[in-house]
Order: sequence, then C-alpha cells, then structure tokens
Amino acid sequence: MKILFIGPASVRRRRLGAFAAVMMAALTLTCSRTTNEHPSAGPLTAAAPILNKYTQDNEDGLWTMPAKNYASTRFSGLSEINSENVKNLSLAWSFSTGVTRGHEAAPLVVNDTMFVVTPYPNILYALDLTNAGKLKWKYEPQPAAFSQGVACCDVVNRGAAYANGKIFYNTLDNYTVAVDASSGKELWKTLLGDINKGQTMTMAPLVVKNKVVVGNSGGEMGVRGWIAALDESNGKIAWQAYNTGPDADCLIGPNFKPFYPQDQGHDLGVTSWPPDAWKIGGGTVWGWISYDPELNLIYYGTANPGPWNPGQRPGDNKWTCGIFARNADTGEAVWFYQLTPHDQHDYDGVNEQILLDMPLNGSTRKVLIHPDRNGYVYVIDRTTGQTLSANPFVHVTTSSGVDLQTGKLLVNAEKNTDQVGKVIRDICPASPGAKDWQPSAFSPRTGLVYLPHNNLCQDAESVETGYIAGTPYVGMNVKMYAGPGGHRGVFTAWDPIAGRAVWKINESFPVWSGALATAGDVVFYGTMDGYFKGVDARNGQQLWQFKVGSGIIGQPMTYRGPNGKQYVAILSGVGGWAGAIVAGQLDPHDPTGALGFVNAVSDLPNYSTTGGMVYVFALP
Amino acid sequence: MALLPVALTVTSCKREERNFNTPPPNVSEAQTNPSFKNPLEENAYSLSEGKRLFSQYNCNGCHAQGGGGMGPALMDEKWIYGARPEQVFATIVEGRPNGMPSFRGRVQETQVWQLSAYVRSLSGHVPKDAASSRDDHMQGKPPESRTKEQPIKNTSPP
Amino acid sequence: MRARQINWGFLTWVALVNTTVAATTQSSVDPAGPQAQHISQLWWVMLYLLTGVFILVMSLLSIGAFRRRSKAAETSGRNVIQTDSLRETKMARVVMGGVVVTTVILFALLVSSFIVGRTIYSTPKEPTVLTIDITGHQWWWDVRYENQVASQIVTTANEIHIPVGRQVVFKLNSADVIHSFWVPNLHGKTDLIPGHPAETWLKADRTGVYRGQCAEFCGHQHAHMAFEVVVESEEQFQAWYESQLKSAPAQLTSSQSRGLQLFLSKPCVMCHTIQGTDAGGKVGPDLTHLASRQTIAAGALQNNRTNLSRWILNSQDVKPGNHMPPIPLNSEELNFVLDYLESLK
Repeated sequence: MKILFIGPASVRRRRLGAFAAVMMAALTLTCSRTTNEHPSAGPLTAAAPILNKYTQDNEDGLWTMPAKNYASTRFSGLSEINSENVKNLSLAWSFSTGVTRGHEAAPLVVNDTMFVVTPYPNILYALDLTNAGKLKWKYEPQPAAFSQGVACCDVVNRGAAYANGKIFYNTLDNYTVAVDASSGKELWKTLLGDINKGQTMTMAPLVVKNKVVVGNSGGEMGVRGWIAALDESNGKIAWQAYNTGPDADCLIGPNFKPFYPQDQGHDLGVTSWPPDAWKIGGGTVWGWISYDPELNLIYYGTANPGPWNPGQRPGDNKWTCGIFARNADTGEAVWFYQLTPHDQHDYDGVNEQILLDMPLNGSTRKVLIHPDRNGYVYVIDRTTGQTLSANPFVHVTTSSGVDLQTGKLLVNAEKNTDQVGKVIRDICPASPGAKDWQPSAFSPRTGLVYLPHNNLCQDAESVETGYIAGTPYVGMNVKMYAGPGGHRGVFTAWDPIAGRAVWKINESFPVWSGALATAGDVVFYGTMDGYFKGVDARNGQQLWQFKVGSGIIGQPMTYRGPNGKQYVAILSGVGGWAGAIVAGQLDPHDPTGALGFVNAVSDLPNYSTTGGMVYVFALP
Repeated sequence: MALLPVALTVTSCKREERNFNTPPPNVSEAQTNPSFKNPLEENAYSLSEGKRLFSQYNCNGCHAQGGGGMGPALMDEKWIYGARPEQVFATIVEGRPNGMPSFRGRVQETQVWQLSAYVRSLSGHVPKDAASSRDDHMQGKPPESRTKEQPIKNTSPP
Repeated sequence: MRARQINWGFLTWVALVNTTVAATTQSSVDPAGPQAQHISQLWWVMLYLLTGVFILVMSLLSIGAFRRRSKAAETSGRNVIQTDSLRETKMARVVMGGVVVTTVILFALLVSSFIVGRTIYSTPKEPTVLTIDITGHQWWWDVRYENQVASQIVTTANEIHIPVGRQVVFKLNSADVIHSFWVPNLHGKTDLIPGHPAETWLKADRTGVYRGQCAEFCGHQHAHMAFEVVVESEEQFQAWYESQLKSAPAQLTSSQSRGLQLFLSKPCVMCHTIQGTDAGGKVGPDLTHLASRQTIAAGALQNNRTNLSRWILNSQDVKPGNHMPPIPLNSEELNFVLDYLESLK
C-alpha cells in the first residue's frame, strides 16, 4: 500500500494557510458545541463545502438507509472511534449469512436491531444488537431461481431502506417487498418486471415522503430502464418514469428545463435512437438515488444504453448515461444532463450524487458531486443541472475533458468502438469505469470526498449482436487489465472545490467496497483480498486493518449500539462483477470471461474464496 | 503401411464434409443408447457452425468464450448437468433451473447438435483435427484445437 | 505476347456482353449513371480500337503466313535466304513503326483507363445528401440508410432504393469474408473487406431496376448473392422511405397473429428482426418490410407465397449451405406464418 500526496508544494502551502484560518474558526465553534467532537477538527480544503442543512441533524447513531442520509454523504457524526484509538478496534461479533455470492449491501441499524439483506436468495436477517447479533427473525422471499441467469454481474443486492417501522428492499426477480421491522412479516409485495425479458432488481430503494423509490437492472439484457415510486403503505405504483422513449413515458412535461441545448427537445428519448431501439435500450436505474427536501427533487443516474456495441444505436441515446432530477411527488422530470452521450464503453451514469452546499466564486451553490464512470468528478448545480466543474480522477484516454460552456464530453474518437470487428486498444477507463457502483463518502470535517475506485483499462471489439429476449444484448468482446502503475484499485481523497486528489492509496485489486467517513476522522473501506481498513481522513495513513474471511465488496457503516458504544460493521463476501471469477467459479484461462473482467483479476482466486459474513467491530 | 495415407485421406474427407441437408442425429436413440456418439463432433464444418452459432445466439453473452460470466464456465472440468452430448443437447433444449433459458423450438435440432459439439470442444472432448483452430475475433483463450482434454467432474451450481 | 493478351481480354469482354445483354437489368454497356457511362465509353473505345488492332495484326499475320517465297528462290532451289539490305531497312522500319504504334495505343489506353478510374472513384463533387451503409454477409446484403436524426434511419436488405439524379454515397463493410459491391449499370466494383470500411458513390440518371451482384467469390452461395437497386423519382423514393420507417402493423387478423406467435417461438426469432415486435435477431435480413421487396433470398427467388414457403420449409434445397436452417412447420402453421409475412408491407 502506498500513499501519494498529490499537488505542487505551493498548493499545499495555500492549503495550510486556509487550514490555519479555519482552525481558528473551528476553535471558537467548538466552545459552544458538545464535546462529542473529535478535537482535531478543521477542513483540509481551502474552503470547505458545507453539508446540505437537512443532513446536519444531530447524529442519531442509526443507519436507516445505505447512504446514511438523503444527501448520500455516508458520514456519521459518531466520533468515539477516532484516529487515535482506531488501532485498538477489535471484533465484537460476527454473523454468517449462509449465502456465498457477492455481498454488496450495507447493514442497517434501527434502534437495537441490525437488518442485513443478502444477495440472491435475498434473505433479510434481523439481528439483536443487545445480544451480540443473535438472530431475531429472518424473512425469505424465495425469488425465482431463474433470475440468477439474467443478472449481469453476479446476483448482488445493494441493500434495504427503513422507514415507518418497515424494511423495504428489492428481490432479484423484480419484487419490491415491505417487511414489518419488528416481526419480519411480509406486508406487501409488488411485481415490477419480467425476468424472462432479462429484467432484475438489485438497487437499494430510497424512501421519500411515504414513497419507496426503486429502479430496475438489466442494461446488458436489452431491458428498458425505469424508476418508480411505490406507496409506502400498500406498494401501489404512485408514478413510474421510463428513461427511454416518448416524453409522456419519461414523465417529461412543461416543467422539464435541461440546462444545455443538446438535452432540450421533443421526444428525444425516441429521436436519438434508431427506430424502436429505445424499447430495448437500457438506461436502467441500478445505482443510487439522493433527495433534496428543500427543492423536493430526487436525483439519480441512468445506466448504459444497450447494446454495448454503439454502432447498432446511432444517436445520443437519450436518456441513458446521465443524471435526472425529478419531482419526488409526481416523478415529473425537472432537468437532465447527459454525462456520456452515445456511450461507447458502458459508462453507466449510476454513481451516487452527494448533495452539498459549496462555496464557488464567492457565492454558495447548491451542488451535487457525481464521480462518474467516464473518469470525471462532476460538480453540478442541482437546481439547474449546469456543470460547474468536471475533473478527471483517473487516467482517461477516451475523452480529453468536459467543455463547461456546452456541457459536452470531448470524446476522443480514436477510442470509439462504433466499427464492428475493429479491436480498440488502451481504452481507459475500462467498462466498469473509473468508479463502478462503489459509493463514496464525504466528510464535512475535511471537506473531502473519499472515492473507492478502479484503475483499469481495456481492449475491446464490437461485434454485431441480435436481441433475443432474456439473453444478453452486449455485442462487445472485452479484455480488461490494470491501468498505469499496475495496481487495479485506488482509494482517493478528492477535494471537490479544487477539483483534485489530495491523497491516494493504491490497492492491488479494484476497491469494490463502499466508503464510510466518520467524525472521528477515520475513513473505512474494504478490499477484495479481504482486508477491512481504517485510514486517517486527513492524510490517508493506514491506522488499522482486519483480515476478514472473504473479500469485501460491501458498504461499511457505523452505529451507536444499545449500550452507547460506537460500532463499525461490514459485510464480507466477494463477488459482484469484479469478483465474479470467485463467486461464479469462472475459468481464469478465458480473458473475456465476466464481460472481460476475468482478465484483470485472474489472480483473485489465490487471495479470496467465497463467503458471506457480517463483521461488527468496536473498541474494547 | 501404404494404406495409412489412404485411410488418412478418407478420414480427413469425412472431417471436411459439408452436408447441408442430412437429418440430425436421432434424439431418442441418443438418450437410450449409452454408447451414442454425436457424429457432428468429428466434423470440422459442424464444429465451426457450432462456434458461429455460439456467438450469434448470444451463448457467449453468458458463457463468454468458455470462461463464463453470468453463466458457468464451459471450458473447465466441471459439469453441472452432465457432459455427454445428449445431456448438453438437453441443457440447451430444456433449459436448466438456475438461469439457463430453454431454447426449445427456437433452435433447430441440427444446430443444437452443432452447439452441443462445440460446447464439448471447449474442454477438449472432440478430435483435435476437427476442432476449430482459430477465432474470427479478438483472441481470448487459445483455440479449441489446442485445448487439452479436461477430466469430467460432476458438480453442483456455484 | 501483347497480342495474345489483348485477345484474351477481348474474348472475356465478348463473353460478358453476351451474358449481360440477355438480362436487361444487369449490363455494363447499358449505363444508367455517369460512372457507368465512363466505364461503358472506355469499353467501347477499347473494343473498337482493339478490334482494329486485332484485325490489323491478324491481317499482317495472314499475309505473312500465306505470302509465298519469290519465284526466283523457288526455281533455283537454293536454300540460302538472300538478304536485300534495302528491303531489310524497309522491314525494320515497319517493325519499328509497329512497336511505336503499339506503344502509343497502349499508352493512350493506359491514360484513358487511368482518367476513367480517377473520374469514377473520385470524391463526390456535390454535397452528400444520402448515405447508405452496406454490410455484406454470407450471402445477403444488409442495407442501412444513415440519417442525422437516428429515429429516421431505415434498415432493409437486398433491395436498395435511391432517388434518380441524386448523388448517393455508399459505405461498405463486411461481416465475414471479402465481398464486392457491383451494380454494372451504375458503377464499377468496390470490395467489402472485413474491418476496412470502403466508400464509393454513384448517381443514377434514369429510373429503373438494376441488378447488382457480389463480384468477389465468397463461398457456397456467392452466385446467389444478388440485390436490386431501384431508382425512382424523388417523390416515389420519399414515399418508399416513409413506409420503411414504420414498424410492423400492430393490427393483425387472427391468422396473422398466430403467424407472429409462431415466428416468435420458432427459429425465425433467433436471426431476424421485425421492428415493432420482440424479434431482434441480426443473423439474417431485417424482415420488417419483407412483403414490399421484389425478391427473397438475396435475389435468388421472386418474392411470392410459393417461393416463400419453399424457402421457409427447406432453404437448403434452394441455396445449399446458406445459414437458414429448415423450419419445421406443418401446413397449417406455415399458412399462418405466410399470412403474417405477407402483411409486412
């Protein structure tokens, strides 16, 4: 492991000056605050972005949604575990899920119960926190076995959400279920898609004002992407918006005002596709949703267009690979920004949006931070959809930047894969992107965004592919490999205002886990070779690590236990797209396996076997 | 000794034969006769047709070039639903419960036998001189003609 | 040596003219466009000139062959050939003259052939308004009309409609082996090489239906890899284009909808696309507007019910080795499928 400080000395000096100034301010502030604060508070960045005020509630010590809050900061105000004492962190208890596929979910904690949802067969466990995680009850939805065959990248589930005494989550075979949080009884179950058409559901719902917002997966199977809001009380569909097709289907109406001209126009979801291609064009919603209660808008990214072979779908392929802002009550679209028009390399736009209020050029702007698969961290005005900055956080060869005037990605046509049969080398980032699903965290104490991500490049060749319902619709031969430096993963601390990395930790395998930031200035993440790590939020110094049973691709979380102590929890269980070679027992001799990911991680079976376990840590 | 070249020529003729209109092997015979052999496994044209269909019918979408992905690897020694030609045939036609779709009616019988032959060639269970020796696309694994015959182990799904 | 080559060329051309003139829609010497006009002119120039040369050479040869030796030499019985220096000089001049004339003729032909080549393969002069992507497959042609608005892209197969008097650019690619795109009435040949897109353009001066043919041996059914170029008026072309944009009809009679269900559950669905249905295969031709086309099986058969049923039940009898397997349908099912296919106007 290597920590790299990035940037010229002058920048660091300026930073120190600003740091001193903010320290003074922080000191005066701490006098009026509770002593729960870790003493070395003070943002690292020149001018720290402040959290959306709706996320600044007093820390309740709970974890009711995978992203912790509507702003998706994955930051906890708990600071009992801090950079000084984290070295003493030890295992409190553990629990085996009995499932051995990729565990991507975040455990939830509500009062004295932890809820864990497993990959297929999507079992929901309720664990008693007053009794070292003793099983209270479990709920087994028994999804159709066939759904395993249409899940593109392992049979994962990214977690559940809690609200009003209910746990909501999606099953692989397209049900959204509501389970009574105290008894484990199923309250309702709504079928939202057809596995025979390649549809699955893997994302974690977001509960907004008595509505459960969910979306589908299957961009590799020729499905049509949508997002839907279900009535929290009975599971009835309140609204459903497609991400391709006519404006009416996409809930695009008079209030739709995209910032850039290329996103404005009538029925672009039809006209930017060859005839009928939008019906099988992807644009699914398998990533993260954020919510701004003040603007009453939800934000989510749309996934890749299908098939991967771009030659089969000339046009901009709206509304794929972009960010939608929608009215949370009606689903009506308010703005859209296409990150990657006419996607060439499977650069889904599904990554999280972290909602911050950020000082920019003298004024405070309501922004969203979106680290995208195409290699840039976007800072976008979340009221209008204007891109304020977009800076690369990995080595990028497929584009040369983003034109902030026009909002257009400056695509490097040499890396385009439109032409069937031509092998294009050195495509960076690779198809899983600079950063795939793995969610980042933001700490208001350092002003930094912590990005778990990949350093992968690939060779790719488009091949003509037919649509056969229920089978993959990809049309691309891919071989991935490590990007410059030879390491396949990076954990980056990113300054969103300066638009640059502050420090980086290189990891051998893609960092496929989520990140967690805490008020104790410790940032947690896990590695695919099975290490759960705590690093100093300020400088990336590794402070603690623990070797778990199977590789980690889950989302770390922290909570205050019934006894008042702070705990940190993580699911171990390697899998997902990156770990498919282990979870699916793939053959490492075929570099094109798992859509080309096998080539990049063919040594993973030497480091991790399958597993499925909740690990909970605390100070002794 | 003199007969050897003649014999070789004859067998290689068979190997290169292209019969476009011969009926496929009899399914019920294949399932009841324990010593059944799929004649298409010895025919280079049938194997290459199997290879073509393997990608054109999206088999490679799940099984890649044999290494697997959404579906299990086909080039290793592990067989979940049986390695015999008629078992592979049945897997394609019937589908299997953990995600393999059924192609009953949608893939014509001769083509299923060609696919079955190609699938078995991925782990070296067909004659080397008949197996495909090249890829038309970006090279992944070595061609089937250079694949060593793998042992057969029956396993359960991962 | 040179004379023999010219003779071979001549014979080839004669053979070609004989075969092509018979089929009125496929002929190099019946040009319907500027490029074919150039080729045709060059051909006539070569034909006339080389016929002249041929006659001249043959005449001289005959003279040489039949001219007797001088009486004197014969009667004297002497075997020694007497040299006459004056005569020698004269003959040397004739030979020299022959060499010079041959060189000049060949050079002139070279230059004119070069100029014609340059002209017909030059970059188009007018701004391109219509670009058509052609992809050669074993053994059929995939045709896609480019359009700035993606939803206005038309996909069809084996039948290319173009408006008269308009310059059309063709982008040529191959999905498998090398093919060659050739519409003798309109242009020369351009090869389709996998992985190396080529471009050519043409313009038709008059309406009509012109047959095209793969001109590079590409396997079993190379001979049956034909297509038709329908040159029509601007209005007719626009009407055709509009009709091709439409999805397959949703309103179906009961037998047509039975036919569609069969189409979706039989091997048809693995390979063919019918826009507006779940069929999205790319192995075979797009069938969305099958019934609007003149021929099936890449020009091998006229498009009618009898031929369609022959083709569906066992296309291997019609075009052995083609990639379409026999489709097992009973007569009732076949009728449903035919009813449906005939609705795809």
